[in-house]
Amino acid sequence: CDQNNDIKLIRIGHGLDTNHSVHKAMIMVNNQLLRLSDGKMKLEIYPNQQLGSERECLELLQIGSLDLTKVSAAVLENFAPKVKVFGLPYLFENKEHYFKVLDGPIGKELLEEGEKYLFKGLGYYDSGSRSFYSREKKIEKPSDLNGLKIRVQESNTAFEMIRSLGGSPTPISWGELYTSLQQGVVDAAENNTPSFYLSKHYEVCKYYIVDEHNMIPDVILSSTNLWNNLTINERKWLQEAVNLSIPFQRELWIKSEEESMRAIINSGVEIIYPDKDLFKKASLTMYDKLKKDTEINDLIARIKDEKIKN
Amino acid sequence: MKKLRIKIDLFIEKVLVLLLSAMVLNVLYQIFTRYFTSNPSSFTDELSRFLMIWLGVLGAAYVSGKKKHVSINLLQSKLGHQFKKNIEIFVSIILIIFSFNVLVLGGFNLVYITFVLDQYSPSLNLSMSIVYSVIPLSGILIIFYEMCNNLK
Amino acid sequence: MEIFPVLILIISFFVLTFAGTPIAWGIAISSTLTIIFSIPFLPSLTTIAQQMATSLDSFSLIAIPFFILSGKIMTYGGIAKRLIDFAKSIIGALPGGLALINIVSSMLMGAIAGSAMASASAMGSIIGPEMEKEGYPKEYGAAVNITSATIGLVIPPSNILIVYSLASGGVSVAALFLAGYIPGILTGIFLMIVSIFIAKTKGYKSTVKTSLLLIFKKFIIAFPSLFLLFIIIGGIVSGFFTATEASGIAVLYTFLLAFIYKEIKFNDFSKILLEASITSSIVMLLIATSMSMSWVISFENIPQELSNFLVNLSDNKLIILIIINLFILFVGIFMDITPAVLIFTPIFLPIVQSIGIDPIQFGIMLVLNLCIGLCTPPVGSVLFVGVGVAGTSIEKVFKPLFPLLISMIFSLFLITFFPKITLWLPEIFNLYNP
Ligand code: NA
Ligand code: NA
Repeated sequence: CDQNNDIKLIRIGHGLDTNHSVHKAMIMVNNQLLRLSDGKMKLEIYPNQQLGSERECLELLQIGSLDLTKVSAAVLENFAPKVKVFGLPYLFENKEHYFKVLDGPIGKELLEEGEKYLFKGLGYYDSGSRSFYSREKKIEKPSDLNGLKIRVQESNTAFEMIRSLGGSPTPISWGELYTSLQQGVVDAAENNTPSFYLSKHYEVCKYYIVDEHNMIPDVILSSTNLWNNLTINERKWLQEAVNLSIPFQRELWIKSEEESMRAIINSGVEIIYPDKDLFKKASLTMYDKLKKDTEINDLIARIKDEKIKN
Repeated sequence: MKKLRIKIDLFIEKVLVLLLSAMVLNVLYQIFTRYFTSNPSSFTDELSRFLMIWLGVLGAAYVSGKKKHVSINLLQSKLGHQFKKNIEIFVSIILIIFSFNVLVLGGFNLVYITFVLDQYSPSLNLSMSIVYSVIPLSGILIIFYEMCNNLK
Repeated sequence: MEIFPVLILIISFFVLTFAGTPIAWGIAISSTLTIIFSIPFLPSLTTIAQQMATSLDSFSLIAIPFFILSGKIMTYGGIAKRLIDFAKSIIGALPGGLALINIVSSMLMGAIAGSAMASASAMGSIIGPEMEKEGYPKEYGAAVNITSATIGLVIPPSNILIVYSLASGGVSVAALFLAGYIPGILTGIFLMIVSIFIAKTKGYKSTVKTSLLLIFKKFIIAFPSLFLLFIIIGGIVSGFFTATEASGIAVLYTFLLAFIYKEIKFNDFSKILLEASITSSIVMLLIATSMSMSWVISFENIPQELSNFLVNLSDNKLIILIIINLFILFVGIFMDITPAVLIFTPIFLPIVQSIGIDPIQFGIMLVLNLCIGLCTPPVGSVLFVGVGVAGTSIEKVFKPLFPLLISMIFSLFLITFFPKITLWLPEIFNLYNP
């Protein structure tokens, strides 16, 4: 038992399956951490919501009983309001623009945003772009969303976004969504391709509409409690290990997107590629509403600016 | 103390009845808005969950005071009167220690964290510290009830 | 394996429980004692408090207080009585008729309200005295009442299946509800066969007279009550509303019905609401503290260790299933059904899924198995209620209980090894996709 005391055990909880790119990336973090620290630091991974939902894990970070976690930026916005910028529709021009912002000074600034709230961001994993899927109705333009009950995540920004596009946002928990779609409690939902596939929602939906309305990254967070208790070297190793896992996860993610898309097509779901500009135009009302919020507005302007610079 | 207890009991009873009724009406309203309006309510889901946290935790304290939580008294019924009495006091002390540490201290810490860190619920925009405040409140109630039950 | 946390957890739980600490608090206290050895003091306490609150933060759980409430309204509002009369007209004339009425009524009542304890106390207090009048021994009546009350936990709607859905991370409540029908009815039939057999050997006769006309009359009277069943299950399966919303509709419907029957006055409702909140709080505290214990168990990595142990023991599907069933039977003897489902689902579900068992089937198997434990001493909430209502003792009830328990175990055996019994209905309604 004595040798155990020399090893720093770091606990990380997340809500995804062990086959998910995020879990595989965490295994890589562990391997890198063991290598960099010469076996002095080790990661214990708790997958599948064993320690609770993303929201609960974030609270556990603040409480100080969990060290690391991965949450969607959509969940983060209830804890660190500035982060809600990621929930805005068509914020990024394309994937390049998206990664440029995440890996640049703005992304870094938002990672540090959490420190007031007792957690610290270590990096962004990719979680693709989100699109609509519907059980019966063919959606080709925003007006097709009128009156449709669309399941959204628990986030005010997500609610507003659906409203701006003309749909009726309906809160249903992720676990209840399959049967709700099957039985028509809701008409449509939205998510990235791998989630659409892995949740088997494709079994009960006829259409996948690639409107790619937003890109919400996953964020790796450390509790400040852990961070403050690490030596300078230990912090460096942990950050380095996470950094090394980021390109690995993003590569895996692309692969899983491709695989899921193939599987969905094979299962007979019709893929619709609508005119994205129509959706983009419709969503502008949401930006108008945010005009009063100077902090967010400033952030939006800086993000748009990144694209022009190059 | 006895009079105070009766007053508190009556008050909690009213609150419990109110919470449960509100939950029922809230869910019925949710069904109504989904079928009869074009704008399904976005807050009812969250509201009923928060009402349930209050109902469950506050009710648990009330039930604790009335000694109605399920327990096993097989061993106790086979023991002598004095020994039984001692064990009952032992259980009471354990419960008070637990309530003080976990419900009052831990619960208050949770309220404090969510308050200081400005944590709001997604759709009602309600401070989570209000939702969690029922935990330390119930902790205090349980300690009060245990004292009443043993001091009479 | 880290044996230290496991030992603290188990020993402290047993000491507290047998000292007479309420089980729910015992669970919370032993969880706290375990976790303070792994993480600092204040975070430990805060985490337990947080887990208690967030475990109630679930929309599907709201169905539980609602079904409890509608069950109370049924009992007070004359709805339960009408169901019993209907059951009496169908099977009352068979040997041991009153015992059979108790079983069928429990199945009907269980099919409308989700709680076994409500069913045990309602049926026990209404049919129990009649059985005694006709010369059945009190103990036998209580035994029949106790076992049959638990079937309501398998026949939908069922609160414990909602709890299982939560613990399993979202198995569809609608699918679980449909899956429960055949296993529940099957178990009821086995109980009836045993009762008829006992009645014949002991010479219990029936004095109930019946005719087709009477059955029809009683059916008409019971129809509005039976119609509730159609609204709830039909509403859920057709997608008109979710399980939680259906439970809200059940409250509204029983409320209106009781009002029309004029058996309760408007003023009685605050009393009924209070009783329902109290019963709900008892269940909610068990859920809250069990979820905290489940969190602590996960945190200490106990599920992985146990699953490695089991998988290394054998790779034969049947043997693993038998071991798990025996283990759950043992757990059920000492633990109430709600904490057992919440604590052991996360442990066993990944194991059985890895050997190809569907989570829906496992849910029904787990619940039926734990129903047996509800009828056995030392910890059996339905047993306590049933014995209390009948005014007899646990020691006396055990003998007549025994053959009935055997028939439940037989039913469990069939449901474990023939997945079709469970999965056929959900498959027909397209709620299960293999
Ligand atoms: Na039932
Ligand atoms: Na038992």
